[in-house]
Amino acid sequence: MKTLTAGQLEQLLAVLSTSWELRLTILLPDGTRVIGSPDDGPLALQGGAVSGKPTAAFFPQLGTVFASSEGELREPKAPERPLFVLGFTPRDLACLRFIDRFFADGWRDDIYFRQRDGAVVAGLSGYCGPGGSLIRPAGGNCDLEFFRDGSNWLVIPYSEAGIEIAAKVADFASPEARERFRQASVQLPDENETLLLRASELLRANRVPDYFWSEIGDRCIACTGCNLACPTCTCFGVQDWRSTRQVERSRMWDSCQLDGFMREAGGHNPLGSEGERSRRRIHHKLAADPEKWGEISCFLCGRCDAVCPTGIGIVAVMKELVARYE
Amino acid sequence: MCPYCGVGCMFYLVSDGGRLVGIEPSTTHPVSRGGLCVKGWNAFAFVHHPDRLTTPLVRRNGELKPATWDEALELTVDGLRAVQAKHGTDAIMFASSAKATNEENYLLMKLARAVFGTNNIDHCARLCHSSTVTGLAETFGSGAMTNSISCFDQTDVILVIGSNTTEQHPLIGSRILNAVKNGTRLIVADNRRIRLARHADLHLRHRNGRDVALLNGIMHVIIAEGLEDRKFIATRTENYAALAESVADWTPERSAAATGLDAGDIVSAARMFAGGERGMIVYSMGITQHSHGVDNVRCIASLAMLTGNVGKTGTGVNPLRGQNNVQGGCDMGALPDLFSGYQKVSDSQLREKFARAWGVPSLPSEPGLPLTRAMNAASEGLLQGMFIMGENPMLSDPDQNHARTTLQNLELLVVQDIFLTETALLADIVLPAACYAEKEGTFTNTERRVQRLRKAVEPPGAARADWEIICDLAGQAGYEGMHYSGPSEVMDEIAGLTPIYGGITHDRLDPHGLQWPCPDRDHPGTPLLHVDRFTRGPGHFSPVVHRLPAELPDEQYPMVLTTGRTYFHWHTGSMTRRTHLLDREEPCSFIELHPDDAARLGIRHRDRLLVSSRRGGVQTEARVTDMVIPGVLFMPFHFAEGAANALTNNVLDPESSIPEFKVCAVRVEKLP
Repeated sequence: MKTLTAGQLEQLLAVLSTSWELRLTILLPDGTRVIGSPDDGPLALQGGAVSGKPTAAFFPQLGTVFASSEGELREPKAPERPLFVLGFTPRDLACLRFIDRFFADGWRDDIYFRQRDGAVVAGLSGYCGPGGSLIRPAGGNCDLEFFRDGSNWLVIPYSEAGIEIAAKVADFASPEARERFRQASVQLPDENETLLLRASELLRANRVPDYFWSEIGDRCIACTGCNLACPTCTCFGVQDWRSTRQVERSRMWDSCQLDGFMREAGGHNPLGSEGERSRRRIHHKLAADPEKWGEISCFLCGRCDAVCPTGIGIVAVMKELVARYE
Repeated sequence: MCPYCGVGCMFYLVSDGGRLVGIEPSTTHPVSRGGLCVKGWNAFAFVHHPDRLTTPLVRRNGELKPATWDEALELTVDGLRAVQAKHGTDAIMFASSAKATNEENYLLMKLARAVFGTNNIDHCARLCHSSTVTGLAETFGSGAMTNSISCFDQTDVILVIGSNTTEQHPLIGSRILNAVKNGTRLIVADNRRIRLARHADLHLRHRNGRDVALLNGIMHVIIAEGLEDRKFIATRTENYAALAESVADWTPERSAAATGLDAGDIVSAARMFAGGERGMIVYSMGITQHSHGVDNVRCIASLAMLTGNVGKTGTGVNPLRGQNNVQGGCDMGALPDLFSGYQKVSDSQLREKFARAWGVPSLPSEPGLPLTRAMNAASEGLLQGMFIMGENPMLSDPDQNHARTTLQNLELLVVQDIFLTETALLADIVLPAACYAEKEGTFTNTERRVQRLRKAVEPPGAARADWEIICDLAGQAGYEGMHYSGPSEVMDEIAGLTPIYGGITHDRLDPHGLQWPCPDRDHPGTPLLHVDRFTRGPGHFSPVVHRLPAELPDEQYPMVLTTGRTYFHWHTGSMTRRTHLLDREEPCSFIELHPDDAARLGIRHRDRLLVSSRRGGVQTEARVTDMVIPGVLFMPFHFAEGAANALTNNVLDPESSIPEFKVCAVRVEKLP
């Protein structure tokens, strides 16, 4: 565990940029914080989770699958330099762990791993949440973690790559800083985590009636933002663009909140109403994924609640569901 | 800024190696507040489509063939000049675009007036809110939305009439849903069972084209029960006695008979709306697109004034603008009778002001042709040349056969667009334009917020920004007054000539724009209009006599067709039908019909149908649903292969020249 001042951290990132393609938490001109190239805005490590899917660094909204012309097939290449991504909160890292496993399961998604393999992922925690609030340390799920302690950053490596990077840092953390990190790591009860478990139990016990989902569905304007902001949503659609010279296949984030997502060629749709689709969105994370993967696939990052224009993100729905049916 | 509707949501375009790969919503924007609708989330997806126009095209031996910019510009200018020489200065027409920036609309207006000497310039506002501009200018003195989008969070009662807000202005519709959840009362007057209707305290499913009868009935009840705001009427308005007299015999029973509603519901609506401390009226095409669209708007203005709901937060007359920059297109004077800032071309002092600034000896004084009347003039041979920038009248104008014949018979048709649209296919010259992601400029949203657009990627091939093309055309025509370093300099010129934009410069617009009127550089912008006085002085009550739609059902064509849009497509589909997820959602033309009608006609869901009117017939697919009432059909106009506008009636409001898209008579048959 080592210590960096803010200035030293920027120096470290400058050093890393010679070996890695940096993706950092940056501030855009209107105050929106995202993970992006340092060329697009100043570093903005404080403020908690960034808006937008942090996993987009490896799984962008639109990505080429291949292009074909004159009998030749071209696939996108891996980046010339591997990615170094700094900006995942511990909850985001849990999401990343989840989709890493998903994309590796069975068929191993080569497009995803073309970006992901060799990438270094750095977490952000400590007193860098909104208004300087505490973000509990991840304690893993990444190569290294930057923990904000006062005006400094503790560097906590986990993987070999993380250890190699931490070796570039000179100073070691004081015993007091280590103690503050240890205390912050103690699991504190989180109201929403309890809520998540209770909602999951209600759904798995089939205690939520259809009309509840109809009411939620009535409020859904099918913006698809919940899916497009969710770091564990991995569904994608595929399109082919044909021109006289070539065919280009690409894939883009899809949404289970769209009618076309499940509509059959004959027109029938097993998820033919907004209510059924709203149920699927929540049920998938809270009831189906625990069966398949042994864990709930919502890690309470808060993004769907933040982007939903009508207030039916997962936490809002869980609150209503638990209040009515527990 | 989003290129679709007039709400004006903000997002960042994510690019990788010069290609757009995604969207990142702004979390701080006061309108979109971190959210977007489905079109916004997909607004990057058509930009690199292989169908994009990449080179100028010129028709040779009947076929459109690639040409150089020099050739295309020369042929365009020479062609327009030749038409003018042969048929007169006003034998050409410029159609500007509510998809283009303010700067581009201003420049095309300047090109038409200063370079080609004609006031024949208009744009698609003619097809959407011309009734609003006319009706509210007369009653309030300004045709703009009176209040701000933030007012939806601060109101007690909302009347939504003729607006499917969650589908067409989704980030405003969602505010209405949230307001209702927090206790705001909602009245929806629309005979389709739109999403808002599911949340309404009262859903009025009145007959198509009977809005005046409904609104007069509501105002009758308000006055009869003493619910009017007497202080507001006395201190802020004029001509109240005439209004009171005109609605005196519009009893709830008479209104009910005309609208098909229960008299009790009309009374309830009046009490609910007048009972709120702060009430907002929201409307859109369901009000404006009638042969009596201006009358509808007059009634709405009267209802707002009658209840004192103007000039305060959480109130107002809120016509929601459809296109991302239809407000700006009007503001910039892409209109036949107005310069930028609603300054009349008939005013000699204003003409002199513009002529001096533009360095020309004089400017034409007679108002030009509205777009809809221009099409009629062209069909009569009075107009022989058209320059169309970013519009697709082949799908958007009423009576498609009429539009096609008219465009085909022109001596010269020039189309400047991003795709080879149905209209561009008929052109003699096609100029390839940059899309919203490939240029700089400003858009003005429905609440008069002027916002900056920034370039994210390069245009494809030889495509260029509309403003650059217009300036080159001016140069080609020998005019020296259109050399700019960029859109920012154009805005400086606009500010110097346009009092409501007087304080607007690009450097003041970060991060979230300014709402006009903004008369000087120190002015903070104006969220609310008509606070202490109406723009025209006192608000003017304009009483209205109820008129029926021009074409009613009869034995031959027994059903009413009303047209509109779906949530997933934008207008003529040139962008959204090239966006995979959006086109997958609504892949083909359809028509909604009520289950009772379907049963009577032996039609099942998804059957192929032939729908005919006096103008023509189209094939489409049946969507059997109680969204519509019996006897009424709804059809979106996005689809070239089942074009609703092959059926619609090209009858115009006499004052605003808006076509009656919302009512015509049709017959429907099942295809074998």
